[in-house]
This record gives sequence, structure tokens and C-alpha cells, in this order.
Amino acid sequence: MGVLLAAIPLLPAAAFALLGPMSRELRNRAKWVSIVAMSASLALAVVAFVQAWLAPAHGEGARVVFHAFAPIAPGGAFGFGLLLDPVSAVMLIVVTVVGLAVQVYSLGYMHSDERVGWYYAVLSLFSAAMLAVVLADNFLMLYMAWEVMGLCSYLLIGFWHTEEGPRKASIKAFLVTRVGDIGFALGLAAMFALTRSFAFDKVLPAATAWAPGAATLVALLLLFGAMGKSAQFPLHVWLPDAMAGPTPASALIHAATMVAAGVYLVARALPIFVASGVALSVTLLIGIVTALLGGSLALVQYDIKKVLAYSTISQLGYMFVALGTASEVAGLYHLVTHAFFKSLLFLGAGVIIHSTHTQDMREMGGLRKKMPVTTGVFTIGALALAGVFPLSGFFSKDEILASLLRGHHYAFFGFALLAALLTAFYVTRLWVRVFWGTGSDHAHEGHRVMLAPMVVLAAITLVIGFASVAFAGFLGHEVEWPEVGLAAASTFTALAGIGAGWWVYAMGKVDTAEVRERLRLLYLVLQQKYYMDRLYEAAFVKPFEKVAGAFAWFDLGVIDGAVNGAAALWVRATQLSWRFDVSVIDGGVNRLADAVVDAGERLRRLQSGSVQSYQRLVLGAVVLLLAWVMVLWPALKAVLKGA
Amino acid sequence: MKVGLDAFILLATALFSVGLFGALSKRSAIMVLMALELMANAVNILLVAASRYVTPATMDGWFFAVFSLVVSAAEIGLGLSLVLALYRKVRTAELDRLETLKG
Repeated sequence: MGVLLAAIPLLPAAAFALLGPMSRELRNRAKWVSIVAMSASLALAVVAFVQAWLAPAHGEGARVVFHAFAPIAPGGAFGFGLLLDPVSAVMLIVVTVVGLAVQVYSLGYMHSDERVGWYYAVLSLFSAAMLAVVLADNFLMLYMAWEVMGLCSYLLIGFWHTEEGPRKASIKAFLVTRVGDIGFALGLAAMFALTRSFAFDKVLPAATAWAPGAATLVALLLLFGAMGKSAQFPLHVWLPDAMAGPTPASALIHAATMVAAGVYLVARALPIFVASGVALSVTLLIGIVTALLGGSLALVQYDIKKVLAYSTISQLGYMFVALGTASEVAGLYHLVTHAFFKSLLFLGAGVIIHSTHTQDMREMGGLRKKMPVTTGVFTIGALALAGVFPLSGFFSKDEILASLLRGHHYAFFGFALLAALLTAFYVTRLWVRVFWGTGSDHAHEGHRVMLAPMVVLAAITLVIGFASVAFAGFLGHEVEWPEVGLAAASTFTALAGIGAGWWVYAMGKVDTAEVRERLRLLYLVLQQKYYMDRLYEAAFVKPFEKVAGAFAWFDLGVIDGAVNGAAALWVRATQLSWRFDVSVIDGGVNRLADAVVDAGERLRRLQSGSVQSYQRLVLGAVVLLLAWVMVLWPALKAVLKGA
Repeated sequence: MKVGLDAFILLATALFSVGLFGALSKRSAIMVLMALELMANAVNILLVAASRYVTPATMDGWFFAVFSLVVSAAEIGLGLSLVLALYRKVRTAELDRLETLKG
């Protein structure tokens, strides 16, 4: 089993390793390698899931089905291993099913893109990383795979990097999630300082023994990392911009899996949060704020993908609410249902965008006649999102509401209902604007290869709701069917939202322009996304740019200046040295040589070649010698003696 | 008038000077050789005269003079043959035309 389990993430990784180095043409033709690897991973994930399902539900070590350590430092502080327990088994199924659906869908959606091979390679790498996240048995490995996911997200958001929008969005997404990742990394460091280990089964049981402050610190740092990845307030600003990427990639990464990784992380680390207590409250607060913020912002968007993006933010907030009540089952269950119906909605939006060549809902309308299949499956997804019985969203949302009641968070319960109302309202608005009325006459139904994955996801959305009890039992919690009263309340809320939306948008009972005019201030605030982008721009980006500018000035002025000055000085010094060389050293040598030549020129005249002239010289010399010896020397001696 | 050593020294000096002048000024190698003979004989006269006046008891100067005569006879033979060989080579015996070694 160990090898097969390891193969689940390694197969897509191998597909990436195979596709990555190929030439573009070859890679475009070999994209099916990625789909084959994903299919094999799905098959293995099903095997793993069945194994986890059949494992004993109770007793010592029952939850952990499989535990394998990789050969690197087995059992040590940095032991890397795989963990298959009910949570990871469920996540495996979600990731592989949605991953395969998106890859098959992309055959149609990315059909004519010239870099489709690279797209598939990155999708494979992403799938490998996400599968490694859910299979990791320690926080360090989870963190590493987490960062690889961040890279893939960056690459796919900026997939059409020749345009400015996607390029900027990819940088924004990378930097904002990085802010959260710093928290994650610090949390890991604190965790390691406390327990000398990263392994789940060593850290989590030890958490209760930590000082409350230590547990709070670690929990809040991990939460900060999760907030970045899962686009929670105040780090949610990157997700709407991330819609600049290809729609199927948005469906996989920015709706179903990567953004849910934060929820998964908090669910995994929940014992630390419980040990802290404060961290749970913070999670709850962040979750409810995000749920309301995302829901309210979705109201005023006209871009179909942005509506879905804000909806994703809102639903992720819902999951954090569930985690904030220490109910990992509710959080994970909503993660699973949301992954299926939100990826379904994104894929539907992709078909619509493909067909109408626009993302602006004001330019759409009446698509239900032209695109019956898309309309059908999209409606299933939309109703699930709104939380209508008997679709999956109803059950998972109900569990979250129930967990709030169980924890006696009545105020939060009210806010959660309000968020549900908003959800139902904006999803109706979207549905009516796109499918009702008239508008896009030239639209056409999508290709089969795009519709088939959507139908599969819709089928899952239809039936998975009834699995809630089994799901909770599988995760080791006893959960009952929703109480009638609670179910009635949530259903009423959903229907009220849908009814209001229908009343406003389909029946046109309210002049939306007039409402906009009357609530101009509120509308402006929503239109400006609560001014958070502006705030970040003013508080972080601009000062950072100023600091960067100052550094650039320092670099150019001081450091480059110093370097250039030194270089100029050196040039000057070498010029002087050159002059010294030429004038003094060379000059001296040359002048000496000239003098020698000159002397030779003068002296050669002595050598006349005539014997008799030499003889005369000899005679002269003898005469001089005789004169010295006989006359001058005695005279000198006489003078010296006389003195 | 009594002929003394001074007269011989004077004679030898005069003869040497004539020879020196000839050796320095004559163009013909033969004439230069002859001038060299004059100088050699001036020295011989001086030797004999010195022997006669300074050390009459011995005959050192005589022997020196005879020795010198033999040497200059051999020398003049060698010199003449050199001049002959030179003439054969360059067809001249005039010294001022032999300046191949001029620097």
C-alpha cells in the first residue's frame, strides 16, 4: 500500500517532469500524459479511500490507516511520511475527482491555446502538490507542498502573461499569499521550538500540554498562513484578481482545492486551536467577517467569475466559522461539497464565457434556451450554493449552523443566516442575469468534452448531501440528521434570498438603478470593495514603492556612484602611471640609449683604419706620459713640498 | 774636441726622430719598414755607446746590439714578405689606402 499511496502524488509529478522539458509542440501533443496520470491517481485514491473506509471505526489507532516513513531520516525530527486517515482519504477523492474533471474539461476549453501543453504540465504539478498536502504526515512537508501550490497558482493566474492584467494579478496573488505564508513559517518554527518535531502525531497530542500562550501563538500563526491561502479577511484581496487566469484553473485551484488547503490546515491543526481557545474565537470571527464581506461584495459584481470568486471567499469564511466552533467535520464537509458545486459553477461559467465571448453578465441573458445542458447543471450548482434541500450545500451549511448552535454562538448564528441570505440572493441575481430574459442570441451549447465533467460534478452534488451522516461517522464523529427546526430556518432563509432575488431581477419589481441611486454611499463602498485595495495600495504598496525608490536612489547614487568614482579614480591613476612610464622610465632608458649611440658616433671617428694614425696616437700618449713623469709630477711634488 | 757620450746620444736621438718621422709620414710600406730600421739602428748605436762609456769593463751592450741586429734582420724579412703578400692580395703597398678596418 505504501508504494501505491506514494504513487498518488508522484504520478502527476512524473507527468510534470515528463512534460516540463519538452518542446512546446511536443508538449502540446503530449498533454494526454497529464490526464492519464490524473486518472491513475484517481483510481489509486479510490483504492485508498475504500481501504480507509473498511478500517475499524473504533479502537486504538483506528483513525490512522496507514503510516509510512520515507527513507529520509526515518522517525527523526524531519521524517517525511505519508498519512492515510479518513480526512486525507476524503481529500484525496475530492482533489483527484475535481482535478480529473478540470483536466478533461480543459481539453475543450484550452483547445486552441498555443501553450496548452504547459498549462497541462502546471496543472499536473499543482495536483501533485495538493495531493502531497493532503497526504503529508507532518507540517513541514505540508508547508513545502503548500508553497509549490502557491507557485502553480502564480503560474496559472499569469498564464496569459503577455497581458498586463493577468501578470499583475499573478504577482498580487503571490505576494499576498506570501504574507500569510510568513505566518505559517513562523508558526512552524514556534512549533518546532516547542516539540522538536513537525509530525502530526507528535505535535497535536502535545498541544494540550503547552502553555496557553504558546498554543495561541502557534495557532494564530498557522491561522494567518491559512488566511492567506484561503483568502480570508483581510488577506482576501488576491482571489478576485486571480480570476484573470484560465477559468478551469480557477475552478480547480481558486475554488475547489488550493484555497481550501487553508481550511484543511486549520482542521488538521485543530487540537492546537482547541488547546488555545482564543485562537478558536479568532477563527470564528475571521470566518464570519469574511463570509459577510464576500457575500456583500458578490452583490455588486458584473463579472460572472468575480461573483463566483467572492462567493468562494464567502463560503471559505463559512468553513472557518465551522472550524471556529471546533467542528472539523462541519468545516471539512462544507469543503467537500463546496469543492464539487463551486468547481461545477466555475466550469459552467467557463462554458458560458466560451460561448458568449464575454464575462460581463450585463451582456448575457436568455441562455437557458440556447444552452439547456449547461443551464441544468449550473442550476444544480447554484441551488446547492444557495443551500436548497436536497442538494449538498444544504446539508453542509446546516451542519455549520448546527455547530454554531451547539457552541451557543447565537449572534454568529444570526450573521451566518444573513450570509446565507446574501448567498441565495446573489446567486439568484447571477442566474437570472445569465439564463433568464433575452440577450445572447449567438450563444451555443458547449462541447461534449466540456459538458461531461460538469454532468459528473452535478451528479455528485445531487447525491453527496445524503452522505453527511456517513461522512461524519467516517471522520469519527456522531452527527445526526439536521433538526427539523434548524432545517426549516435555513431553508426559509435560502428561499427568502432566492425569492427576493427573483422578485428584484427576474420580475423587475424594483428599479435597481433607483436603489443604487438611493443607497449611493453603500453602493460606492461595495463597488470599491470596502476600499481595501485602496487601503493596501496606500498603506503598503505606495510606501513600499517609496522605500524601493529610496533604495534604488541609494543604489544608483551612492553605491553605483562610489563604484563609478573608484573606477574613475583608478583610470586617472593609471593615466598618471602611464605618463610616468612613458616620460620617466621609457624616457630615461631612451635617453641613455641615445647617449650611448651618440658617444659611439663620436668615438668611431678615432678608429680611422689607418695604421699610421694609431701610431701617432701612441706617440702622443708616450709624449704625454713622459711629460707627466719628467716634468709635471716633479713640479707638483716640489709645489706640495714647498707648501 | 773630444767626442763623448752626449754626442752619441744626440746622434741616436736624431736618427730615431728621422725614423719616427718616416714611419709616421711615409705612404709606402717599404719606406715605413726602412724607417723602422733607422729607429732600430738608433737604439743599437745607443747600446754600443752606452757600453763603451758607462761600463767599459764588460761587453753587455755589444751583445745586446748584436742580438738586436739579428732580430731586426729576421723582422725585416718577415715584414717584407708581409708587404709582398699584401701587394699580391690588394695590388697596392700604400698604407693610406688600407683602411678596411675603419670604424
